[in-house]
Amino acid sequence: MEEMLAVFIASTLRLAMPLMLAASGELVSERAGVLNLSLEGMMLTAAFFGALGSWASGDPYLGVACAILASVIVSAVQAWLSVNLRANQLVVGIGFNILALGATTLLYRIIFGGLSREEIPGLPKLAVKGLSDLPFAGTAFFQQSVIVYVGLALIVLIWAMLNHTSFGLAVRAVGDEPRSADKAGIPVAATRWKAVLITGFMAGFAGAFISIADIHTFTENMTNGAGYLALAAVIFGGWNIGRTVAACLLFGAATALQFQLPAMGINVPTAFLLMLPYLLALLAVAGVVGRLEPPTSLTLPFQRGK
Amino acid sequence: MTPSVEPLLSLKNLGKRFGSLQALEGVGLDVRAGSVQCLLGENGAGKSTLCNLIFGVYEPTAGDMTFDGSAWAPESPAAALERGIAMVHQHFSLVPRMTVVENLMLGQVRGVLKRHEFGARIRDIAESFGFALDPEAVVGELSVGERQRAEIVKCLMRDPKLLVLDEPTAVLPPGEIGALLDICRRVADSGRAVILVTHKLAEIAKVADRVAVLRTGRLVADESMADADMGALVHAMVGRELRPLDVALAETDEAPAEPADAPKGFALVCDGLTVHDRHGAVRLDNFTLEIRPGEIVGLAGVEGNGQSELGMVLAGLLRPTEGHFYIGGTDLTHAGAGAVTAAGGGLVPEDRHAVACVTGMSVAENMFLNKLDRFTRFGLLQRGALNTAAQKQMREFDVRAASPEVAFSGLSGGNQQKAVLARELTLDPLVALVAAQPTRGLDVSAVEAVYRQIRAASRRGVGVLLISSELDELIAVADRITVLYRGRLVGERPAEMSERGAIGALMSGQGA
Amino acid sequence: MTALALSLPDRRRLLGMAVPFIAVLGSMIVGLLLIAASGKDVPDAVEAFMDGAFGSAFAIGASINRAVALSLVGLGFILAFRANLTNVGGEGQIAVGGIAATALGLWPPIANLPLGLAVIVPLLGGTLAGAFWGGIAGVMKVRFGTNEVISTLLLGFVALLAVYWCVQSTALLRQPQTSSATLPESLAIADSVKLPSLTGNSESPLHIGLVICLLLAVATAVVLQRSTFGLRLRAIGLNELAARRAGMPGGILLVVALAIAGAFGGLAGAIMLQGEQYYLKTGFSSGYGFDGLVVGLLSRGSTLGVLAGALFFGFLRSGGISMEIMAGVPAALTLVIQGLIVIAVAGSVILVEKLQGGR
Repeated sequence: MEEMLAVFIASTLRLAMPLMLAASGELVSERAGVLNLSLEGMMLTAAFFGALGSWASGDPYLGVACAILASVIVSAVQAWLSVNLRANQLVVGIGFNILALGATTLLYRIIFGGLSREEIPGLPKLAVKGLSDLPFAGTAFFQQSVIVYVGLALIVLIWAMLNHTSFGLAVRAVGDEPRSADKAGIPVAATRWKAVLITGFMAGFAGAFISIADIHTFTENMTNGAGYLALAAVIFGGWNIGRTVAACLLFGAATALQFQLPAMGINVPTAFLLMLPYLLALLAVAGVVGRLEPPTSLTLPFQRGK
Repeated sequence: MTPSVEPLLSLKNLGKRFGSLQALEGVGLDVRAGSVQCLLGENGAGKSTLCNLIFGVYEPTAGDMTFDGSAWAPESPAAALERGIAMVHQHFSLVPRMTVVENLMLGQVRGVLKRHEFGARIRDIAESFGFALDPEAVVGELSVGERQRAEIVKCLMRDPKLLVLDEPTAVLPPGEIGALLDICRRVADSGRAVILVTHKLAEIAKVADRVAVLRTGRLVADESMADADMGALVHAMVGRELRPLDVALAETDEAPAEPADAPKGFALVCDGLTVHDRHGAVRLDNFTLEIRPGEIVGLAGVEGNGQSELGMVLAGLLRPTEGHFYIGGTDLTHAGAGAVTAAGGGLVPEDRHAVACVTGMSVAENMFLNKLDRFTRFGLLQRGALNTAAQKQMREFDVRAASPEVAFSGLSGGNQQKAVLARELTLDPLVALVAAQPTRGLDVSAVEAVYRQIRAASRRGVGVLLISSELDELIAVADRITVLYRGRLVGERPAEMSERGAIGALMSGQGA
Repeated sequence: MTALALSLPDRRRLLGMAVPFIAVLGSMIVGLLLIAASGKDVPDAVEAFMDGAFGSAFAIGASINRAVALSLVGLGFILAFRANLTNVGGEGQIAVGGIAATALGLWPPIANLPLGLAVIVPLLGGTLAGAFWGGIAGVMKVRFGTNEVISTLLLGFVALLAVYWCVQSTALLRQPQTSSATLPESLAIADSVKLPSLTGNSESPLHIGLVICLLLAVATAVVLQRSTFGLRLRAIGLNELAARRAGMPGGILLVVALAIAGAFGGLAGAIMLQGEQYYLKTGFSSGYGFDGLVVGLLSRGSTLGVLAGALFFGFLRSGGISMEIMAGVPAALTLVIQGLIVIAVAGSVILVEKLQGGR
């Protein structure tokens, strides 16, 4: 039983990690008023280019760098389209997801050829001395790859940034009342750009985690909807970073349960567990789970004087 | 402190054009440090445009400005703030979800936020100008007056040389106005210049040093407060010169005879209507009025005193916080727009684009928007019949357009208004008609046509509520005139030329 | 009046209409470049593409069948869009349509209905299921003010997983497990439920879905351009306050608009199931929902545009599959082209607006 719980916790963390990374980044964008449906595409792109970089160079850390770079480039194009060209954010997001799926699958076939399960150099797990020897969940919590530690630190940094820096203030203002922010002298477009780039950066980490740290290979459509789950987590978390991280853990747990429960002899349909995150997000968005207020200007482009 | 000799801000022949609309023309004004300059005018007069030019939101299309000794042409509000001009807007530019200190730090600090330090600065500034402000309060939970004070501190923190306040008393309850004016006086006395933009002359009379009046984009008066005559100022702001039209209208005014088949009882009854807006400010205050069938009651008042809220309530588009209204005896307070129309309530709103028409659709579609079923067979719209009917109505109401199928947005303002009027006046049944600023932007012949139609409707037994700031028109057309000020009915007068002064005084807040 | 003599505003409007075509063309050129870059023979690939798209009766029939499903989703989209509602849940609406059609089709009392009712009832069931699914988003918008993009998207995922659920459990729609190798799919529907072939030609899989689609396309065009309901949708989308003032039941119109969009999606799902797939399995919607959305967006509100776009994407899919089989070019290329088109058109809206609106 104890063993199962430890496995469950480890699974939860493993599954929740990319969600937490991507969701924290997306949170910044949405607080600034930009909705990135392309989060899925960014993560998939990052997973692929991370795997590619790692395989080509033999160095997993270089792979991580490639992943982040690829994702940031995608996010830059998204930013240009959403902020400068004022394109419909939702359409652009869907377009990117289709493009990312097609491009990564195509390149994968071309470069790796067919269904190779070639293992790429992955990130080793680093143990935190002492703590990782703790009974029960010690391994789960304290023996993880460096991405996890760095990622968690970044999430804390994002929290600090949003609540305690002038940039965070600008982000929050721009997402709620861009007109007021503009009058206060805040550069609305530039702030939104930076927010989207942050999303790209974090999505890069998330994608890199999946292919380099977790599974050590790339498979087609590897992210398999994780990006949408992260979006649902931001919604369910009420655009608050603490609650969003909690939501990610909840979603990760729900996904982990699909393997755990059968092993425990409990028969809950897997599909229901997989559905749960979306159902919760739906309830949240209907205002059933507390009074949820998205940033007032979410998805609305800004033009001075209009 | 006596005002200095050289003007701090100097405007010469300033003009601003938006497409075909000339919002400002030939405006020349000097503002001196240490003085409070009052800028009067009603909505649409160009006050906001003028402020936006000074503050860098727009660029002038003609003329130039000088500020603090050098040429002044700001590219953005940020540039204006930097050079020492700060503006307290009518619609606060605060972020409701953030606290006072966060709002004031926005755009002001870099790096890590030091809430305590900044909060202490806020407290100090507030105190030095004689009021208190809690930095940790969430803006969304503050009262309107408190929010305004936060806005003022926000400006004062920049240590501006010129402080512009746009309609600052509009959102304040009467009790808090004194405090605001006190702050303005202190700011001016500290060596800065203050521009107070308003239409509520009576309120700011005590604190202003000079008064300038804007009307339809031009400066029509510019004098020191000491020399100013209140009546003349009100007239300059709101009235028009008496014209042959008005005389003609007045002459043909028959005594409103109750038609034989007039419905018993009142056409429109408003009982204690009260509206609070989302910030908690009172926009309509215990409004009570009764209109008999065939009566034309004028509601005079400068825009922004609750007229739009009243119109929205009477159209069934806004639920009042308290009170009821009845059309032909039916309580329609919570009934919704469709029910109001069905009960015979017509509305010609002041902003037709927002409420009355769908600009993207054709003239015919707009004119029969509420009667589409009449032209529907098997679910299909009979366009031929629709267009023919529209043509007939267009001729009857003198709506000029190339054809009933052109886009509504292609019509001139006057014709759009006539089209909306046509639609409302042909409601069947029509029990009560609310017409708000019906002749704004119309030329003389259009004005005549509109009032002829309204008169005809009243003779048929329709009770008419005519909301307007054009006093001369009201006197010519209405049977009696009530005055709306700060959302409240402040008096009633017979609709006669001799009452003009009294009505004007009521409109500007005197005797309120 | 020659083309040269066109006034400047007219010329700009024409240019505005041409932008989507330019976007599509540009993306396809990029596609060709990618094929070349991947080392495959371009003429070979193109030939395989053409062959797969319209090289035989089978190819054409299959392509048209695909286009039918895409058209339906696209038509539903433009109807809702007329009221300024963006339905992103096509994929999910197809899914619930498929579930309903399968469930009804596998039920013996229905499969044994005479007079073609065995075909019609599951189709109707799928349509109603889709209408319900779309209607939920409509109600959420009216009651809670929920952005329909978010709600239809989330509902879409729930529906896709509902399919997964149905085929995982023998209590639901999974075929009886005779061995451990039994796939998680439903049983195949009886012949009586399958959509009859249109041509009677055993070579071509073309089914009566085409007729249904064309009829609905005409109906959509009529509703949008000639009906009072269509006018009301437009009013509500352009100015809700004025529409309500004119007595229109705003909330109901919005719910109905989304329900109709959902109904079209559900019908598409039922047709896909009864026309080609015959049994339910996970992911049977294979992206048609999103593709239909793209078709709807690109059509800019025109029914003909939807049909043209759907045909284009239908042929694109068939050609893509053939390219993979015969020339070794991954079908993922089709996705790349599609993605590029969507982004290019979305990004160029501002250009189109400037040209057509003359702002």
